[in-house]
Amino acid sequence: MSWKYKILVVDDEPDLERLMLQRMRRDIRAGLYKFVFAHNGVEALDLLKEQPDIDLVLSDINMPKMDGLTLIGQIPKVQPDIRSVIISAYGDMKNIRTAMNRGAFDFVTKPIDFDDLKLTISRTLQHLVEWRDALKSRDKLAALQNELGVASKIQQSILPTRFPDRPGCRIFANMKPARNVGGDFFDVIHLADGRIGIAIADVSDKGVPAALFMMSCRTLIKGAAIGKTDPGEVLHEVNQLLQEDNDAAMFVTVFYGVYDPDSQRFHYANGGHNSPLVVHADGSSAELPLTGGIALGLIPDLDYENKTVTLSPGDLIVLYTDGVTEAFDEQENQFGTQRLQEVFAGTKPTDVQAANRSVFEAVEKFAGDTPQSDDITCVTLLHGSDGG
Amino acid sequence: MEISTEREGSLLVARAGGRLDSINAREFDDALKSAISESDQVLIMDLEKVSYVSSAGLRVILLTAKTLQQRSAKLLICSLAEPIREVFEISGFDKIIPIHADLAAARASIG
Repeated sequence: MSWKYKILVVDDEPDLERLMLQRMRRDIRAGLYKFVFAHNGVEALDLLKEQPDIDLVLSDINMPKMDGLTLIGQIPKVQPDIRSVIISAYGDMKNIRTAMNRGAFDFVTKPIDFDDLKLTISRTLQHLVEWRDALKSRDKLAALQNELGVASKIQQSILPTRFPDRPGCRIFANMKPARNVGGDFFDVIHLADGRIGIAIADVSDKGVPAALFMMSCRTLIKGAAIGKTDPGEVLHEVNQLLQEDNDAAMFVTVFYGVYDPDSQRFHYANGGHNSPLVVHADGSSAELPLTGGIALGLIPDLDYENKTVTLSPGDLIVLYTDGVTEAFDEQENQFGTQRLQEVFAGTKPTDVQAANRSVFEAVEKFAGDTPQSDDITCVTLLHGSDGG
Repeated sequence: MEISTEREGSLLVARAGGRLDSINAREFDDALKSAISESDQVLIMDLEKVSYVSSAGLRVILLTAKTLQQRSAKLLICSLAEPIREVFEISGFDKIIPIHADLAAARASIG
């Protein structure tokens, strides 16, 4: 026979057991309650230790060996997660007060009114269920926070921290993670003949699975970038490998470009990522032409078109993720590409790190007190500004 | 995020509102899963009232398309606000999921 709740009744009056079983017979038969009995506090504590599935203790006050008030005080030491209800003489406020102070949830008075008792029991159990649910969500939340901490460490660990910084070729990159969301990453890859591969990416979703997806994506890009010279082929290969066994439909938007300081060319392909800006020496800027590629990880056999731009000395390429353009202000306006262009309007970019910082500052100023809901990433590349 | 659905034979129209971001992506997914029945052949997602779709939101939409596709049913999207249409365009997902200007156009395309 199974039951939903187990109730321990503690009373030294022998009649109560028979009366309780008789008056509660419907709820017992329906499988709602199971009653167990003890005749004093000592017996009750022994039973609580033996039967950890007891949900509620219903206890008299005056009993031999250990009275009800002492028992109430001892219960949390044996079973912290159960509730107790005290049975007291009518009007005995002093003892009721003491019982409540020691942790009793409620009380009923003698002679027992069984309708009132049923109501009190059900109310107490309802409270207990809610309490247990709250504990469960708290544990879940703690587990989730723990997982997100792991994910965030994975994300941080794959980001490069040293960048090319030589006359004619300076690169800087930064990522400001949103609380609890980790999806952005970037990479700067040294290729043959002084060329440099630059990747910026945004993985859908968060948590450990997304971080592992990010990790494999970054490794695949690096491997493909070193083996192939054509950015479109790099994205094709990474997509092909990512989409295998990707039942969770995770995806990643990736922009990958190869910068050749000698030929002044920037050769790129785009898998569903925001198009980078090119800021000219006079502060004017334009988005790089789109190539129409689809985000990686979902569909097999995709081809990614390449495009090439020839850079002029002093050109600054600004690669970013949607955490920049989709930052919200307090009126729910989005930052947008126009505001990003305004950051550079009328200025001559000369310092790749300062240019990078100015993007973050503009977004922070715009967002004000609105919490950051997505990672913000920006990579800046300054071509041939100092006589290179 | 709010979601309401309406069924006409084997067509299910789901209207969503608010933001579809990483905070409520799972809630959105659960709501869609419980709304869709095996007999639905076409799902039209009317996103007119949606103000923002993050990549987590896009993933739920793609997962839904994938699940429907596995039993030869299909997903259509309609009534996208300009910034959200851009999100679909930039990610290239407008090439995977048919997008229509409004509900009438989406309905008309079913034939």
